[in-house]
Amino acid sequence: MMNYAIVPHWFFGYNVMLEMLFFAITLLVGAFALKIYQISGQRQSKLFGISFLMISASYFIQSVLNFASSYSMADGCSMQTMTWAYSLNIAGIYAHMLLFTVGLVTLAYMTLRIKDLKAYFLFAAIAVGALIASSNKLYFFYIISSILLIYISFFYLRNYLQSRKANALIVFIGFLFLLFAKIHFIFSINHGAFYVIGHLLEFVAYALILINLVSVIRRK
Amino acid sequence: MSKKRGRLQIIYDILSVIKEKNGRIKPTNILYKSNLSNQMFQEYINELMQKGFIIENLAKGSKTYSLTQKGFDYLNKYQMIADFTNSFGLGE
Repeated sequence: MMNYAIVPHWFFGYNVMLEMLFFAITLLVGAFALKIYQISGQRQSKLFGISFLMISASYFIQSVLNFASSYSMADGCSMQTMTWAYSLNIAGIYAHMLLFTVGLVTLAYMTLRIKDLKAYFLFAAIAVGALIASSNKLYFFYIISSILLIYISFFYLRNYLQSRKANALIVFIGFLFLLFAKIHFIFSINHGAFYVIGHLLEFVAYALILINLVSVIRRK
Repeated sequence: MSKKRGRLQIIYDILSVIKEKNGRIKPTNILYKSNLSNQMFQEYINELMQKGFIIENLAKGSKTYSLTQKGFDYLNKYQMIADFTNSFGLGE
């Protein structure tokens, strides 16, 4: 069974624009992390870059999917269009959920500082397997994302407490907002307002992550 | 009390010592100036060679090290690398 988030009508279009923005920011952060890996040879940067590129791909798919859905609805509602839109929707939602989940698992694995690919594949298999087997996939996706983000946020809180630097604080608050966004998305299955709030919280989260990236680049 | 050096800082220190000596320095000098144990020093030197930051030169029976372009790039961009890795918790 696949439940859907309720999207307020007036928010169609805005959600696509925001998701495209999240795609661009996460792509930028991921590509920059891989550039840092190229210069420093540091494994953590590589894992961080890969995780952000996966998250970026998940947003790209989500935004294209939402754009196609809005377009097909604006186009009129022939039976063929509706069937096509439905199939596209299902495939896109699955791709988005899988890529985002594996991206977060990669990020959580990076924070563990272990060098064991078997452990990584085990974590990924548990998360993806549970997502596929769950009866309400969207609901489970938001819950597992929230759990992973709680862990990741704690990691960034510890990182800030160790360094006491403004940049580390910005990143911690960014991930905290991402966690709040995912928690709001859990409720978006029943109330459209939570879908909008979730997107706005995600916007703040990625804006903070972008601010940190820009400040790092400008200081070089 | 001085703060414990991170991995990126140690690599920066080793590469800086090599750069200071115009790119050619004996291992004992690096060991002395980088303030590392013999075992740690060997591990770092091997890693730096493996990753292409430095090269080993053998001339008249003595061993020296010099920086590669990748090593110079690391030194030039160290502050940016450190800021990025510290803020995103990527230090090892």
